[in-house]
Amino acid sequence: MHNNTLLETKDLRVEVGGTPILRGVDLSFSRGKVYAVLGPNASGKSTLAKAIMGIPEYEVKGGDIMLEGRSVLGKSITERAKMGIAYAFQTPPAIPGVRLDDFICRICPDYSCNEASDILMGEKCGCKQALYDDFSRLGIENLAERDLNDGFSGGESKRSELFQVLSMRPKIMFLDEPDSGLDYDSLKVVGRELRAIKEKGVTTMVIISHHRYVLEFLEVDTVYILQSGRLAYTGTMSAIPELEEMGYEKFLARTGTESKGGGQS
Amino acid sequence: MTRLTEAKKRARSARKRPPKYGEDIDLEIFDVPGPGVADLKLEDLSERDREVVSQVGFSPEEQGVAGSYAQFDNESILADVMIRPEGLEVLPTREALSRYDWLHDYLWNAVAVDTDKFTAASELEEYNGYYIRAKAGAKIDMPVQSCLVVKRGHSMQNVHNIIIAEEGSELHVITGCATPGVMERSLHLGISEFYVKRNAKLTFTMVHKWNEQMDVRPRSAIVVEEGGTYISSYAILSTARTVQTYPKVTLSGRRAHADLYSVVYGRSDSKYDIGGALMLAAPGANGKVVSRTIASDRSDIMARGNLVGSVSGVKGRLECNGLILSEKARIAALPMLEALADGVELSHEATVGKVGADQLNYLMSRGMTEEEATSLIISGFIRLKTPGLPAMLQRSIDDAVKMTLEKGL
Repeated sequence: MHNNTLLETKDLRVEVGGTPILRGVDLSFSRGKVYAVLGPNASGKSTLAKAIMGIPEYEVKGGDIMLEGRSVLGKSITERAKMGIAYAFQTPPAIPGVRLDDFICRICPDYSCNEASDILMGEKCGCKQALYDDFSRLGIENLAERDLNDGFSGGESKRSELFQVLSMRPKIMFLDEPDSGLDYDSLKVVGRELRAIKEKGVTTMVIISHHRYVLEFLEVDTVYILQSGRLAYTGTMSAIPELEEMGYEKFLARTGTESKGGGQS
Repeated sequence: MTRLTEAKKRARSARKRPPKYGEDIDLEIFDVPGPGVADLKLEDLSERDREVVSQVGFSPEEQGVAGSYAQFDNESILADVMIRPEGLEVLPTREALSRYDWLHDYLWNAVAVDTDKFTAASELEEYNGYYIRAKAGAKIDMPVQSCLVVKRGHSMQNVHNIIIAEEGSELHVITGCATPGVMERSLHLGISEFYVKRNAKLTFTMVHKWNEQMDVRPRSAIVVEEGGTYISSYAILSTARTVQTYPKVTLSGRRAHADLYSVVYGRSDSKYDIGGALMLAAPGANGKVVSRTIASDRSDIMARGNLVGSVSGVKGRLECNGLILSEKARIAALPMLEALADGVELSHEATVGKVGADQLNYLMSRGMTEEEATSLIISGFIRLKTPGLPAMLQRSIDDAVKMTLEKGL
């Protein structure tokens, strides 16, 4: 094990509703590094992230998930979240009647007002101004008073998810297609945000994506490609242009075997 | 035959008529105390009574209200117009009927006296209640508050209310109904007739806080004329033995509008049969019936809704959403849409289920425990905003909900 390893999966086998999805996956994620998990549809990318987060329908049937050298398999979602694992949902469920700003204040105490000193214009202050400033930076200030995920557009969901996950200050975060449904401007905003996190170097980022833009902008350190529930390729960003040209099938047919199980570059 | 004896005659004929919905109740078991005219002074209220009325949104200090009406059982009555805003009247119904002969035209007009045994009993026994009227063009910004309290066991509280918003007026009424402590089985019978005239706006906010000894049978009907708006927001968050209510709104004039919002939090063995009907009877008439119900313990909730579009160019929407918190609780949603003409646009959405696993997982992934996530989902679910309701009245509902959740979860 690498000294700097934050999280690793060992021969991880996961089923959903009795169907095997991950069939023995060994991956390793180091502190402060940026990873891309790629792969054709139904290769198990989201399943990997959800199983690591601990979502019960993603049933671990074999192998292990270790955070800082200790298994998290017996831990609830809540415990894993508190240990520093975060997952940005691809399609987060609506929570009617719960405002986005109130919710973020609740999950991130840094934004919530403390006692009496935070009385604002005679009204009890709910959230600090910093929250709204940060919302503006991500261009989601219009969502502040909306119900959580209720009627958010694809792009709004992505940014709101990213915001929430960032405000939890996790050790490792899994971003499930953070770039889908974004227009060019939003893509730049999200890219810049992620790059700032990378530069701080304290959070490990795992990006599940099909698109090149954010990955290149971020200068991903390691690329993993899953295929049919197994790790089929480990490499660097240099593989991406070729992959894009050839498609997964041809690319993996040619390069898959030589790098398979190659661990981290 | 005078109108009065005619009403009595019709009532007698319906004396044994069982109700269309809800459990039938033997009325013989209740005494009907009163009627009294004991004058009530708010400053004489006991601490306990103050607390009781405060919990259903009634300010004993009469702060921020245009007028007040309070009734304890059938006896102690207060009717008060606070700051005497131009064009507002608040009187006990009996006094108003003896003062205004024309008011008899409004009595048993929206609600038929022979609807069932409850309307019949109300007519045949002595009653009182409140009469609230905004005169033509009067905009009464501050709400008129009322509370109806049942303190005596084994008794029937018999209330007949008449609320009139005259042409072009605006009137906001908040009514709290409550029972302090445990007592023997009692019945609250409330007839309410609302008249919203041309281009008038009437909002009616009601918070109920009963206990498991109470049977509650409101009989309400509303008539909305051309361009008029009626908005009601109803919250029942306490136990009750049984509650059955089914206000019927007739949108009789062009572009008449009505929204009925209700929130029900079912507890213990209580049975709630809550509904509402909109009769969309003039072109451009439109409205919504929206309910959010939560069933905990062994409670049983029936959520009804009925939209009837009888002319072309009307639009109605029905939403019943139910959340079941216990294996032994039950919610049934019964939406009904009737289109009797071409060009009627009616729609409904009904959902009944438990707290969603996807919602729980999502919130837990943000570091909340399962209990915290559940209570957040419930409090969000039950937070029902009523568009068009003044902020102060929305706050009364929100506060009542908040109090319930803090106690209950």
